Amino acid sequence: MSEPVSRRKALKRLARGAAVVGMGGTAGYLMQKAQGQIVWQIDSAKCLNSRLGEVGIKACDLCLKECVVSQSAVRAVNEFSKCGRCYICPAYYNVNSAVGRDGLPSEKLCPRDAIARKPIGEVDPSDPANNFYEYIIDESKCDGCGKCVMACKEPAGLGSIQLRVRHNLCVNCNSCAIAIACPKAALMQWEVPKALFKSGVSTPP
Amino acid sequence: MQFRQVQVIAGRGSGAGKFAAALCSICIDRQDHLYAAGDSQVAVFDASGSLQKRWSLSQPASAIAVADDGSVYAGQSGQIEIFDNAGRLTNTWRDGEHLGEVTAIGLVRDAVLVADARDRCLRRYSKAGQLINNIGQDNRTNGFLIPNGTLDFSVDRHGMIHAANPGKHRVERYSCEGQLAGQFGHFDGRDPAGFPGCCNPTNITIGPLDRIYVTEKAGPRAKVLDSGGNLLAVIATDVFDPACKNMDIAVDSRGRVYVVDTVKLHILVFEAQAGAEAEA
Repeated sequence: MSEPVSRRKALKRLARGAAVVGMGGTAGYLMQKAQGQIVWQIDSAKCLNSRLGEVGIKACDLCLKECVVSQSAVRAVNEFSKCGRCYICPAYYNVNSAVGRDGLPSEKLCPRDAIARKPIGEVDPSDPANNFYEYIIDESKCDGCGKCVMACKEPAGLGSIQLRVRHNLCVNCNSCAIAIACPKAALMQWEVPKALFKSGVSTPP
Repeated sequence: MQFRQVQVIAGRGSGAGKFAAALCSICIDRQDHLYAAGDSQVAVFDASGSLQKRWSLSQPASAIAVADDGSVYAGQSGQIEIFDNAGRLTNTWRDGEHLGEVTAIGLVRDAVLVADARDRCLRRYSKAGQLINNIGQDNRTNGFLIPNGTLDFSVDRHGMIHAANPGKHRVERYSCEGQLAGQFGHFDGRDPAGFPGCCNPTNITIGPLDRIYVTEKAGPRAKVLDSGGNLLAVIATDVFDPACKNMDIAVDSRGRVYVVDTVKLHILVFEAQAGAEAEA
């Protein structure tokens, strides 16, 4: 035999149910809206800065130079699940610069100092190499110049940093200036699920 | 001390002695035969570079070692296949919990040492295949730092393990019991005496006169160091495909150096130029 339910409990259950239905409805609505939406996105397998085999060349900065949005709508994004958390990250440091007193490269690679480096856990001061490090990109500073992406690419790095169009910044031009200029035709219009896949965010739709 | 390239062995292709997709590991036996493992095969070349024999493996190989009695150990994902010198399978070690990605194998008197890139450590097995102990996990990173995906080591004539720890830009020396006995190396992107980039050296072997031979990636380079870790010579740089990484290296009894180009799938052979030994 079930216990009698108090008025307060009944109201709580009702509210919880309404919240679940509401959240589900909102997610469904957003999904439905996104599914049909066409957006510009970068195919990381085509982008000169991230495609494999293109090594020893200068980083392509057309995403920075051609975008009609000031500071560009393209940002470098570090996919943490792929990042090696290296002591000396070739995207953070200019690994060809002179060695400083601390044994690390004396120069950073990013011209806007948009990448922050912080140790994971406590560092042994007598052996700082004996640790993992996290690299976080400040998107308010990044302008999509692509230098870190090129530096992080295999075989130098693991290719965890890639360029992506940020849709809160992109004005979704019918004829994207970056797409016109891109020598590898890496910028294309896709429906949202495919755009996520092409930029390396999700599995195939 | 200078080296010159004297030979190219194997290459990309489908014919005998060629590799179609991958050439991962090489080693040399007492008669200076070269054993190369890649795709799902082992190919054996004589000192002149002619193919002597080849046999298939059950899955792609990532490591190869040959014992003094001629037994051949082929490391793969989750297992090691053991063959006699004619290429007949004699045993298969499977140890799902402990044999992850086998990227190097070393044979010492009473043990088989295995590099497991999945768990970022070395494992010491008895000759019967029983795990004795792990090596290199007793540190703050719980193992070697190998963002490059390969863990390589070599054992010197005193039984001391020399393991490449690329993420820390150094070579670490361990006893077979797992005691850290020393280390050398430092980062330097300009001076070839240091190890450049995010993670170097990637591969290592020990040759005659206790010299230590290493390879690096981005840009690819082979170097020889003395037993204290001091640079003796850069063996080669620009002869490798720039996209190469994890280039295995081996040295024969005459001091000839064999380096794998992992993109062109061939093995480049170098020898010290006349007078170099006396100079060194």
